[in-house]
Amino acid sequence: MASSVRIAAGEGRRPVGLLLVAVPVFLVGWLVIWPIVSAILRTVWRPQGDGGMGFDLSTYAFFFSDAYSLNNLYLTLWTTGVCAVLLLIVCLPIALYLRFANGKIAVYVQALAILPMFVPSIILAYAFIRVLGPNGMVDLLLNAVGLPKIRTPYLTPWGPVIGLVWDNIPLTVVILLAGLGSVSNMAVEAARDVGANRLQVFWHIVLPQISNSVLVALSFSVLGIFSAFTLPYLLGPASPEMMGPFMQRTFRDVNDPIAAITQAVITFCFCIAFGLFYVRSVARNRGR
Amino acid sequence: MKRRAFLISTAGSVAGMMLLPRMSFAAEGQIDWYTASDSNILDFWTNTIKPAFEAAHSGVKLNLVDAGDNAGIQSIAERAIAAMQTNADPQADYFEHADPRLPKGAIEAGLYVNMKDAGLSNYAKVNPLAIDSDYSLPYRGSQVLLAYDTTKLPPADVPKTWDELVTWIKANPGQFVYNRPDKGGSGGNFVRRAIHQVNGLDPKAFTVGNYTEAFGNEALGKAWDLLKDIAPALYDGGAYSSGNTQSIQLLAQGVVTMTPVWSDQVLQAISEGVLPETTGMVQLRDLALCGGFSRAVVLSNGKNRDAALKLADFILTEDIQSAILTELGGFPGVSWDYVSAELREKFADIIPTTIPTFPAGAWEAAVNDGWYRNVAPNIDRKS
Repeated sequence: MASSVRIAAGEGRRPVGLLLVAVPVFLVGWLVIWPIVSAILRTVWRPQGDGGMGFDLSTYAFFFSDAYSLNNLYLTLWTTGVCAVLLLIVCLPIALYLRFANGKIAVYVQALAILPMFVPSIILAYAFIRVLGPNGMVDLLLNAVGLPKIRTPYLTPWGPVIGLVWDNIPLTVVILLAGLGSVSNMAVEAARDVGANRLQVFWHIVLPQISNSVLVALSFSVLGIFSAFTLPYLLGPASPEMMGPFMQRTFRDVNDPIAAITQAVITFCFCIAFGLFYVRSVARNRGR
Repeated sequence: MKRRAFLISTAGSVAGMMLLPRMSFAAEGQIDWYTASDSNILDFWTNTIKPAFEAAHSGVKLNLVDAGDNAGIQSIAERAIAAMQTNADPQADYFEHADPRLPKGAIEAGLYVNMKDAGLSNYAKVNPLAIDSDYSLPYRGSQVLLAYDTTKLPPADVPKTWDELVTWIKANPGQFVYNRPDKGGSGGNFVRRAIHQVNGLDPKAFTVGNYTEAFGNEALGKAWDLLKDIAPALYDGGAYSSGNTQSIQLLAQGVVTMTPVWSDQVLQAISEGVLPETTGMVQLRDLALCGGFSRAVVLSNGKNRDAALKLADFILTEDIQSAILTELGGFPGVSWDYVSAELREKFADIIPTTIPTFPAGAWEAAVNDGWYRNVAPNIDRKS
């Protein structure tokens, strides 16, 4: 049946298909591609001293020679890297558990893992300050049992890391779970039969089959974390700051749109690099 | 089937919303009002001024819009100048607080109404100390003070000059915090007080027009050294809260002993029970922390200019000015003679004789960026 439908839909329907994707393609071109092109043009084609316009890379030269801007970039890369590693460490066990466990508890675990998706990050930031912040709930509980106070991560670079990891758990778990769906029970059972222990099953049977999903999950969350705004703004240190708050501040408070656009283009270049991982793994999947 | 029904109804309502007329033109009899102030000011307008004004002037509505920050107000003013050149509708009538000197040339372009000549019946009541331009109307004042916890710091030992304050901060590491200067006036004016300190305690040394890079670097550079010097003794070895409210919160949680605050916000916080009754307030004696009057500005090309002028006159009436004292914890914009004797007596100790100010414009950008570059990079990201 399926194949006959596909034949019937063949040549004659092709324009309809193209028409269906025309709207999203047009929107991407208009709202994404064109602003990128115009941003790059505005930062490299700038008014010169003699009144005319000319090719000029000075804003980029400034960014890459300015220790303050570079610190902000390093902090963003550091936060993204640490978050990616932590996400993998936290989410892979959850996803594996959900894939192979049955019963009621698994349902509750899944509900809990998906919960952060429904909590706005501004509320998360407030909850974080009340719980982990100075004299917050954790401090009070530690105090009550006579333990010393903790040095709170609020207003240090670890503040946004904790918030961002929590915020990105659902997406990562869902993507990993989808990847684990393709791992057949038979393969696992066969490996068990020949005497593989849990670690060996994971390493030789499961991991090779989900490596693609891991890449997809990481590139998705990394894209979000790299350009995060709310959590670094509310929980992070004053300086260095992540690229999101840095761009906003340069644009609004320092009144320097060209420098802000330069920062945006640089951020975008890093995101493209992460995006390529995703595209590559999707393409590799197709090739199979 | 359920899924299809859901899709159809969702698509239908989205399409319906897109077909609704967009609010792209200023409505007749609706004053488009913008503010860059904190939410307590917006709440005060929403809950007190708006109902009173609309009751007194039937047919006129107030559309209260939060413009975010000063830069937000600036961009609306720039939009209004552009609208002026094309004779279009600026969709703005009234700025709750703006400096008429900004954007540059706005007064010359005729963007703002001259309040002195506008024939406001209450203009004569305005406190002469507060008038700064004929094009703006001071209607409420507030000042940055230092709030502290009297259970940890007895009022007798509280620092009363800048030098005593620095000594106290260094003697009590971790007990003082101020917010990032661009995220709220309490920390911003603490930074400006440091700038005054190293420039001869003379607020008149800085004006909107006298910023040059060389003067800025020299005048601000000394202040950065001063602030860098106290940074290690601040909360968490140099952490800065991200706004006025966050500073108050740290004080309320007993994390710090002292922090700069806006007078109106701290009075409100005490009356709402956010801060305990034991919260003390002190102003520096050698030179007060900056503060200032919020000055309303009316746009001359606004569609509802006359109604906006009525509003400007209305906020100078005794009822509203008393409400600013009692409900907002601010200072009145009119002379104290026009406030009821009972209130005058009650607030005797916060009646200011001078309120130092610091210009916005190029200075603001220089202070904000300079602070981040020079003072803040103190915290170790691996710690």
